[in-house]
Amino acid sequence: MSKSRPTILICDDSLLVRKKMKDCLNEFGDFTIIEASTGQSSIELFRQYEPDLVFLDIVMPDKNGIDALKEMMEIKKDVKVIMLSSSGTKSHLKAAMEAGAHDFIQKPWEKSQIEHILRNIF
Amino acid sequence: MFSQYFGNYLLNRGLIRPDQLTDALEYQRSMRLKLGVIAVNAGYMTPAQVEEIHNMQKKVDKRFGELAIEKGYITEQQLEEMLATQRQGHLMLGQALVDRGHLTIEQLQEALDNYRKEYGMSSREFNVVRKDDSLEIEQIFRDYGEALLGKLYSDYVTLLIKNLIRFVDDNPTVEINQLKSDITAQWFASQEIYGKINMLTAIACDRDVFVKFAAKFAQEDITEPDELAQASVGEFLNLHNGIFLVNMSNNGVELEMNPQQVETNRTLANPGKAYVITCHMTWGRFDVILV
Repeated sequence: MSKSRPTILICDDSLLVRKKMKDCLNEFGDFTIIEASTGQSSIELFRQYEPDLVFLDIVMPDKNGIDALKEMMEIKKDVKVIMLSSSGTKSHLKAAMEAGAHDFIQKPWEKSQIEHILRNIF
Repeated sequence: MFSQYFGNYLLNRGLIRPDQLTDALEYQRSMRLKLGVIAVNAGYMTPAQVEEIHNMQKKVDKRFGELAIEKGYITEQQLEEMLATQRQGHLMLGQALVDRGHLTIEQLQEALDNYRKEYGMSSREFNVVRKDDSLEIEQIFRDYGEALLGKLYSDYVTLLIKNLIRFVDDNPTVEINQLKSDITAQWFASQEIYGKINMLTAIACDRDVFVKFAAKFAQEDITEPDELAQASVGEFLNLHNGIFLVNMSNNGVELEMNPQQVETNRTLANPGKAYVITCHMTWGRFDVILV
């Protein structure tokens, strides 16, 4: 992990998921972690902090993750967004990949998956 | 699955109490050899491979043996050997109820005979079911579960039981009933599924069970129905429904779901066709409502 203190945005309406992800990330490195609990707030925080990596849930209040992903890609084309969902249906996978997601992880994740992603990106 | 369905039958007939069934299921589970243990003992798999398969089972609705073969860790022949070893050491629910003193042998025999007659099973089918032969049992029970609930709800409840075992690490006993009146719950976590099929799914329970459920699923020290507790129960429902959507998607039915919600002191007016799945856990009881 070469870059010093990267910023990671976690977008999920569940406090539990955000907590577990934060605990997991802190095991693997030193990150500035930002949290969003709705689709709309994830866009606002994305603009404000310009994170290096985003973990983005699909089913969220006020704006779903696929729409949020599309907006993020318009703001910053090379952003790495990892979709994180309990529902890895064919249509969700297709929509996420077409919209430019870097990867798709079905919940519950394994720590090794997160570690692998962090090693590849940083 | 036979244990859950036969257990439900015994409860509905008033032959045993929920706590007696929970006790027998726990006893049965404690006596059952896990396939992972058998695989490691036989030298077919490493503990790390077993752990990997257990983690995969949290995401895909497949059996241990099926995944282990897909990953190339064991052959079909080795799986057959492992299942035979497991069957030899398997304690049937009826035997567990007798061993624990909740039924006499005569009461058990009578209940089994009546069960077979009521569900119109042939002797062959019944023997398969009674032995908990998992490979054949699923098809047989798919038919009986469907007769009772319809295919959609039957699939949903079967997956719910599996997910409670996977994620909350407990052996649930379920009672299935049609909702006949309004239902009021102190704590109510719900999520809507929509698309070709529209369903409201909910977990309804009292404060104490809500907190225990949250702590068990999150594996966190939760003692109050605070925001983390609400997120935990809601996330279980979200995770379970997500796997249900994946199963439906694999069968060509694409569905979506809304974000989960948690409310207090909610009354749900009787919507007509709805089911209440009462889940008895070792630490309390909650209802899953399907509308």
